Amino acid sequence: MTLVDDRLDATFAALADPTRRAIVARLATGDATVNELAEPFDISLPGISKHLKMLERCGLISRTRRAQFRPCHLEREVLDTAVDWIEANRRVWTERFDKLDVYLNHEGNRQ
Amino acid sequence: MNDQMASADELTYTRIFDAPRDLVFRCMIEPERLTHFWGPIGTSTPLDGIKIDARPGGVFETVMVNDADGSRYPIRAVYVEVIEPEKLVWTEPDTGVTTTSTFSALGDARTEVRIHQTNVPEAFRSPEAQAGFKTSLDRFATYLRTAS
Repeated sequence: MTLVDDRLDATFAALADPTRRAIVARLATGDATVNELAEPFDISLPGISKHLKMLERCGLISRTRRAQFRPCHLEREVLDTAVDWIEANRRVWTERFDKLDVYLNHEGNRQ
Repeated sequence: MNDQMASADELTYTRIFDAPRDLVFRCMIEPERLTHFWGPIGTSTPLDGIKIDARPGGVFETVMVNDADGSRYPIRAVYVEVIEPEKLVWTEPDTGVTTTSTFSALGDARTEVRIHQTNVPEAFRSPEAQAGFKTSLDRFATYLRTAS
């Protein structure tokens, strides 16, 4: 296992959780502090911090060391490769199934 | 259509078809049927580019062709498991992604198809796989753009 492998596994693990997906979605609109990120959720600050640490470990987000409120920043490049593939893949299967549905509804194809 | 990420490295899609299971299953392994639906919108999957040898170790190869500019998008896979008319498992050696299709008869001549893909992160592992994947993605993105 290389560092890259670990990160990719961690990226998918991170995206498998709905709270972390919501955090990532929020950060896609701009940097935010821990307090701002915690606001929409019914979760304690330490709970949010745990999610953020996991996102930080896989490189999906980064935090400024020096700034007083250490705003979180989304590292888009890490996210994009994974999300692009998932989205393209989902679309292929949706369209494939749509076309199969049409094919199956033609009487002549049902033998 | 439901789609969700079941766990870190898995993807699942399900769809119910108004057709008996035998027929739906045959659509997935008979080239003259597959050619009508396999390519997403804006692409074709010509019959002469489809190779299907539906038994463990047999090939499952398709070439999707972009209707707009004729560029080709080949996919190579090998069957791991074939249980007619219930289950098909194939794996893509280039990316490591394994796809399991399960066909369930719903009792009123309807069929539920469940697609379950595993080892998704494998596709991002080695530099070769990543490069191949990136190229596929880029070409793929082109298809999708032309299609929409």
